[in-house]
Amino acid sequence: MSIGIIAAAIAVFTGIGAGIGIGFATGKASEAIARQPEASGKINSALLLGCALAEGTAIFGFITALLIIFVG
Amino acid sequence: MDAFKETLLEELGTRTVFTIPLLGGIPVAESVVVSWIIMAALMIATLLLTRRLSVRSPGKVQVALESAVEFLNGFVKTNIGRHWRPFAPYLGTVALYIALSNLIGIFGLTPPTKDINVTAALALMSMVLIYGAQFRYNGLLGGLKKFAEPMPLLLPINLMEVVIRPLALCMRLFGNILGAFIIMEMLKFVAPVVLPAIFSIYFDLFDGVIQTVVFVFLTTLFTGEGIKEEE
Repeated sequence: MSIGIIAAAIAVFTGIGAGIGIGFATGKASEAIARQPEASGKINSALLLGCALAEGTAIFGFITALLIIFVG
Repeated sequence: MDAFKETLLEELGTRTVFTIPLLGGIPVAESVVVSWIIMAALMIATLLLTRRLSVRSPGKVQVALESAVEFLNGFVKTNIGRHWRPFAPYLGTVALYIALSNLIGIFGLTPPTKDINVTAALALMSMVLIYGAQFRYNGLLGGLKKFAEPMPLLLPINLMEVVIRPLALCMRLFGNILGAFIIMEMLKFVAPVVLPAIFSIYFDLFDGVIQTVVFVFLTTLFTGEGIKEEE
């Protein structure tokens, strides 16, 4: 039981990567909008896509942690 | 802690509402029943909203509907390109269904997207759409050739994407809704008053809408990638 909890905690560490990735992407996007406010629509859609893909890793880690806790 | 885990486990499983007494009993899950409710609501809304349409003197409702359809068509057109026409109705339908499923938690019903089978079905539909469109508009050989683009070296990665794309779509929607649901349950366990209402605005409303946009946007983008011809 306790070792399973630790394994789940390690699995949730994938969130760090997603957080850093989304932070970088958003920072660059706001820089880009500051430079070219008229292109904000295109920048926003690219940002949304990038965030969704970066967030995917965190979600995989979360699902793995849930599987470890409830199934394993 | 154990009591909490028990309730959580109970919430995680898909409950069977009733069993159809045919072929040895077909179990009908809760997500299916809630989906029926959503379908009924959408049908009734469609019938009510599309009454008394007119070209000469459009009412307020008609103008709102027209601008919504116009927005959808424009979105699909910019992302898919020349062959956008057959895709817009399907994508709009999926968007309405996912949005309503994510938001229905507000009314106290279980969101169907919390059931992994629902999101897996949606992701499979997206996969059929993406690769069906790729072969429909490029022909058999052209569709196969698309897997070797932008260069033949990427062929294995493109083939892996056939599986990874639907898996990621499915897991993203399911994980987000489930995660929000679990956090809400924990909040209700810790502080049953006031606090859940505030967090519900973020987790139920904001997250639900964002995930709808992401799902539809990714499907549109992948479809467009498969059928856009290089200029």
